[in-house]
Amino acid sequence: MAVKVLILEDNPVARSFLCRVVRESFSDAITITEAGDLETARRHISLTGGSQGLHGVDPFKLIMVDLELPDGSGMELLAELTHYPGTKIVTTLYSDDDHLFPALQCGADGYLLKEDRFEVLVEELQKIVRGQPPLSPAIARRLLTHFRPGGGDSLAPDSGFMATPFTTSRPVPIEKVLDHERLTPRESEVLTYLSKGFTIKEIASLMGIKWFTVNDHIKSIYKKLNVSSRAEAAVLASKQGLV
Amino acid sequence: MGEPGTPNTRHAARDSLFEASAFERSTDTVDGRAFAWRRQALVIAAVLGCLAVFVLARWLAAAPHLGGEWLAGPGGALVLQEPARTGSGRQLTVLAIGQRGEMPVAVDALLLHRWPRWQVDGQLRARQLQQHEALAQMLARGEGRVLLHLADGTLREASVVARGYAGLGWMFWPLIGLALLMYLFAVVLVLSRPQPRNTLFVVMTLCQAGNLVFIALESAHGLGLPAGTLASDLPMRATLDLCTAAAAVHAFALRPEGVAGMPNFPRVALLAWAVLPLWWLAVALSDTLAGALPLWWLAQGSCLALGATGLAVAQRSQRLHPDAHGLLLRRMATAALATLALVTLAVALAAGAGGAGPAVAAAAAATWYLFLASLLLLTPFLARRRLLLREFALLAGVSTIVTSLDLLFIAVFSLSAFTSLAVAVFIGLGLYAAARQWTLQHLIGTSVLSTERTFDQLYRAARELQAHPQRYPQVLAQLMRELFDPLEVQAVDRVPVRARVLGGGSALVLSMRHSNDDTGVAAAPSRALVLRHAQRGQRLFTLDDARLADRVVDQLRRAVAYDAAVERGRLEERQRIAQDLHDDIGARLLTLMYQAQTREMEDYIRHTLQDLKTLTRGLAVAEHRLSHAAGEWKADLTQRLNVAQATLDWVFQVDHDRRLTVVQWSALTRVLRELVSNALYHGHATQVEVNFRLDGLLLRLQVTDDGEGRAPETWAHGLGLGGVRKRVKLLGGEVAWSENQPRGIVCTVRVPDFPARR
Repeated sequence: MAVKVLILEDNPVARSFLCRVVRESFSDAITITEAGDLETARRHISLTGGSQGLHGVDPFKLIMVDLELPDGSGMELLAELTHYPGTKIVTTLYSDDDHLFPALQCGADGYLLKEDRFEVLVEELQKIVRGQPPLSPAIARRLLTHFRPGGGDSLAPDSGFMATPFTTSRPVPIEKVLDHERLTPRESEVLTYLSKGFTIKEIASLMGIKWFTVNDHIKSIYKKLNVSSRAEAAVLASKQGLV
Repeated sequence: MGEPGTPNTRHAARDSLFEASAFERSTDTVDGRAFAWRRQALVIAAVLGCLAVFVLARWLAAAPHLGGEWLAGPGGALVLQEPARTGSGRQLTVLAIGQRGEMPVAVDALLLHRWPRWQVDGQLRARQLQQHEALAQMLARGEGRVLLHLADGTLREASVVARGYAGLGWMFWPLIGLALLMYLFAVVLVLSRPQPRNTLFVVMTLCQAGNLVFIALESAHGLGLPAGTLASDLPMRATLDLCTAAAAVHAFALRPEGVAGMPNFPRVALLAWAVLPLWWLAVALSDTLAGALPLWWLAQGSCLALGATGLAVAQRSQRLHPDAHGLLLRRMATAALATLALVTLAVALAAGAGGAGPAVAAAAAATWYLFLASLLLLTPFLARRRLLLREFALLAGVSTIVTSLDLLFIAVFSLSAFTSLAVAVFIGLGLYAAARQWTLQHLIGTSVLSTERTFDQLYRAARELQAHPQRYPQVLAQLMRELFDPLEVQAVDRVPVRARVLGGGSALVLSMRHSNDDTGVAAAPSRALVLRHAQRGQRLFTLDDARLADRVVDQLRRAVAYDAAVERGRLEERQRIAQDLHDDIGARLLTLMYQAQTREMEDYIRHTLQDLKTLTRGLAVAEHRLSHAAGEWKADLTQRLNVAQATLDWVFQVDHDRRLTVVQWSALTRVLRELVSNALYHGHATQVEVNFRLDGLLLRLQVTDDGEGRAPETWAHGLGLGGVRKRVKLLGGEVAWSENQPRGIVCTVRVPDFPARR
């Protein structure tokens, strides 16, 4: 049975380029569904069991979403697909954390920069699907701020030259921070190195651990980000009387 | 924030407590019940005071007296001026006064002198008192008439009638009114602030009110005062004077209140009060010794000695703990003491000279009492207004000079009372005008200068705040320090709405509240600044100062808010441009890149696209920290080198983190990218070393590769190298290529002056 892939991209040239990338990346038989706008994508998704990924229906294993679409932002779709079982990847031209971070919070498993070379894209895509999501220094910095106790998203973190940026003298909130919203010291350390531009291999040797352990930390950070964003949403919903 | 190096640093902690409590007190609102109680007490006290005045006036009005115009004749004789319209208008010299069938009492001009307190000669005072008492008893017998024994040997009858309210004299009501005012003032002070120091001040005020009552009583018209009035004059009034002086010494010994480590001179205060029983002992002794003791000299000497002691104490505490309020009080005490010394000297000289001297001496003493009374009344308000203070100091000084000149003219040059007074007043007016002119010029001169400086400082503070908004508390404290030059600047955790003056002008509290926008100052914990003792304790804060401080804070806030708004506007504009560029041009370039025919074309477009992204990011992001940029450079270069199967050696050494300007950030980003691209695509390098050093202002960037490139001087400077040259030049530096050993190229970028972002 063929692996189902959904590519949501409005530019036809870019869409066919991404199709080539996907076909090149995987050895399985692949059925690619292409969509040019959000509406088409939603229709395709509901045909395969809806945004919750109903049991017994064959869902998309991989969804690639462009952020800039004619009828809205790909972020909306990502938010609807929080519980969808497949791997969700953002393909974008925007590499800044202002665009990528919300996408990751919405549950994206990784991101591809569309201007990268073909072979780079193939490699990155394989990594994401295998569970090695990328983290740019800017995103890592943003994550550190996000998980810092009491630190809001809006505050820029302190100088990267600080020896231990994760121990901080900021005022601690009175409300207890839930455990799933906290980073372990190891995860914080990994993020700090990432924010300074170190590669995973370099981090592994700096921390004296195996590279796949570093990778596990990154995956765990991704998971916590999704969980914490969902927890935030739940708190917000209960406050507004939606639940 | 106590300034190190000042002698009172060790008291700073306690001082802070003191100021905090002062602040607390002033912000506490008196609750309604306590206020109502105080108001009731004040009303009752006022009614009692008025009643006492009325009783006193009635008592004096009911007392019998000899009417008519009494004068001092030649040779110290008593002269009755007959009214011109009913009688002959003659002047009758009266030798004695008696009643039918009794021994007459010999009288002279001493009967006209009402102030035994200021009678220098003990013998004269005894005679004066004896005449007064005899007359009082005679009048009190109530026979309705007495016989005047005239100098020409004839007898003349004079009727004795009650004085009546009209006979109280024109000085009685103003004097008694002033005494009542002082009494009420003391009551208000006690009710509003029941403190030890205030109690002493109240004692001084009440004593001087008593003095005024005596003066008022003795200013009554005609001959004859109730028995005992004059007899008690010297002991009582001297007691009141000594009491005032002792209280002053005690008050000075208590200053400054509540400061730790200050010697509180309790022994000095005790000694001061011990003068009182000694004085009573002297009076008792003098009674038994029949006026042998020089009581006037004793009283004056004690007063002067106490005053000098008080000044010495004040001087010492001022040296230990500079305080503008203390300084002001000390100056006023000095003025009062100097006047007293002058008056004493003049009265002593005038008594020696005889003639009209004693009468004028009494007038001078009265002036001194009025001066002292007004000084006491004004003391609590002096801190409020600088103008009032200046005028009062001027007036007090000039009146002192006039009084002393007046007395000296009479005593030394034997001028008549009127002439000397006229001359003295004339000289005094001249002095006043001159001194006033000088003071005004002086003040205007300094204030113009300080306005200029204030503007300068305000401008600098605003500039600095624009560069470092998070330094707001420090900048404000620094500005206030420059404006007022206080002994201590301190931040407290309170939020006063407006600036206010505390502790009678010794401290100024002003709000440090910043506009609550997103300048990042919201986290500042301290909300109020307390300045203590303006101009190193030489000056008191006034309400004008508080208003000035408020305006300065307002201006600063406005300047910062304006700067922030401008910066925000700029950023929004840049972001909009960046967004447009990125969306439109970026998407088209991407399409073009996918459709590129050759690999070179594709790479070229990819480069262009990346440059566009760098450009738009530089526009859109407000600040670039060097550390953040370095992380991104490293990640970007690593990825690019990995794709080309090359390795990166990254050395990054910076003395401290800093913010980069957009120009610096984008120039460095593109130079780095271009140099690494050259090494990869032209030199086919397998290893690239990037060495970035920033030490102070000197930036050194070296990119070394092991590629095939050789002889860089022969290169044609195309788009890539030209771009690198251009960007380095933009940074104010130079770039040079040379051959690396054994192979490859070294590119060295050197920027000698790489400034931090302003």
